[in-house]
Amino acid sequence: MLLLVALLASNAVLGVAWAQRVEQGPGSLVGPTLGGPADSGLPPSVPTSPGTPELIVDLSQPRVSITSAFQGESLLLFGMFDPPGEIVVVVQGPAARETVLRKERFLGLWLNTGRQQFDDVPAYYFIAASAPLQRLLARGAGGEILSLDDRLSSIRPVRQRTPARLAEFRQGLVEVKRREDLYPANFGHVTVQASRLFRAELPFPSRLPEGTYDVRTYLLRDGKIVAAVSRPLPVGKVGFSAQLAGWSTDEGPLYGLGAIMLALVLGWLGGAVLRRL
Amino acid sequence: MEIYLPIAEQSMNVFLLFALGAAAGLLAGMFGVGGGFLATPLLIFVGIPPAVAVASQANQVIANSVSSLQVQWRRGNVDLRMGLVLLLGGMIGSSAGVTLFTWLKAIGQIDFVIAVMYVILLTSIGLLMLFESVSTWFKRKRNPTAPRGKLHTHYLVHRLPWKMRFYKSKLYISAFLPITLGFVIGILSAILGVGGGFVLVPAMIYLLGMPTTVVIGTSNFQILFVAANVTFLQAVTNGTVDVVLALLLILGGVVGAPIGSRIAARLPGVVLRALMSVLVLAVATELLFELLRTPASPYSLGPREVLP
Repeated sequence: MLLLVALLASNAVLGVAWAQRVEQGPGSLVGPTLGGPADSGLPPSVPTSPGTPELIVDLSQPRVSITSAFQGESLLLFGMFDPPGEIVVVVQGPAARETVLRKERFLGLWLNTGRQQFDDVPAYYFIAASAPLQRLLARGAGGEILSLDDRLSSIRPVRQRTPARLAEFRQGLVEVKRREDLYPANFGHVTVQASRLFRAELPFPSRLPEGTYDVRTYLLRDGKIVAAVSRPLPVGKVGFSAQLAGWSTDEGPLYGLGAIMLALVLGWLGGAVLRRL
Repeated sequence: MEIYLPIAEQSMNVFLLFALGAAAGLLAGMFGVGGGFLATPLLIFVGIPPAVAVASQANQVIANSVSSLQVQWRRGNVDLRMGLVLLLGGMIGSSAGVTLFTWLKAIGQIDFVIAVMYVILLTSIGLLMLFESVSTWFKRKRNPTAPRGKLHTHYLVHRLPWKMRFYKSKLYISAFLPITLGFVIGILSAILGVGGGFVLVPAMIYLLGMPTTVVIGTSNFQILFVAANVTFLQAVTNGTVDVVLALLLILGGVVGAPIGSRIAARLPGVVLRALMSVLVLAVATELLFELLRTPASPYSLGPREVLP
């Protein structure tokens, strides 16, 4: 245990050099041109903190690389904060339009009859906290830290229906995302050690949508956010997988011809070799 | 050992996919059909998205038919003229099929259509083969020297316009029928990811009246080009051809095919056809069961659209 603490501490100290600093208050956050997509929307209540930062955060990897051997990955988020306080981590995937399909029985067969699209649906959503989240949120910070239910209440239906029907489809969306581990059902735990070091595991499943994820860490004191750090986490295919996927989307005709040639050559060689056996 | 499939966007066991390809190859070797009709449903069972399964399977069909065509061509068992007429219909059919596929995918019904078409197709083929092999079995027992069938019969084919002479097949029939047949096979090929040999071969024998010697070679000729067309169009319009998946299936097929033909050499044809019909009916039943069973969750997600 002591060894681990020492390791974490050394990591955290090294991390200071590149970990993003605590956001410097409302002034620098309002303008979208200053912040960029990953930083926009940080809580305006974050106070300015001159001098040493109260919260330092880093990740065990700067990005999630989807290689040919990718089977999902667990990243370690770690850092240091000025006690007292509680830590909440919110990881959000890029927002997109999702289509929820619902099967119903038709002439005895199950087929998709219902369909509802939603805009601004996060590809992935995960919360970890150092204390039961309900308790932390109940004390007044709920406006900025959203539980999954709160976050999903803001997704926009593309076509309007009765609220009851929309709620059903929203529930269906959560069901599918849970099944794919994209909205992990359990809250993660932020482990605090020596009352100033913390770490949390961020679980990413194998079927992970690509894009820039947002990893946001909050320091709460008496239910108020006193510091927040936002880190973009790129998730993408690399190496051979990235090459192939890139060709498939950008060079469709060339990719198709390549696939045909590959099959022709292999089929020809296979046939020729087999006749000798 | 897991491998990440870049287009299916998920990791899968290498050996599982290789075994699937080998099973398809085994069937190809045993029964002389592509095996795609079995591989595609199995790929869907193991969790590959149907759109990717169908498109990648079409890619595998190319390899399968080229190695089979190699042999048939050398033996002069390809009626090129008939092949080209079939291909004309096949190209139109497969192009229309890919368009239909894209549309069905957009409205969220592609999985259902694939499953229903497989159930109908496999059930009818399976039952036909089962009845045929059972009746042959009994006939052979009763009368070991069965009389040869008529050499030449007149069907509807002979009364339609656009008559063409097919020297190698010894036929003088309307081009309309092979074109229509090619068209239908093309649609099947595009939507189900099969070569269509298991429909095309009986149709060529019983519907067109072609001699059995040129049937396999000619059907392989048509299947090769139609599968290439489907692969190309799927890659361009839907981007669903996973070459890593196709590669594993092809390699499995290369290993499976000779084992299949060795088994086939030791079993009488009737037994082979009966075995295959049972297999086909089993897959059809499983697919039908999937359609009838109350799903664990009625919800699924369509494609994600990242808006600019």
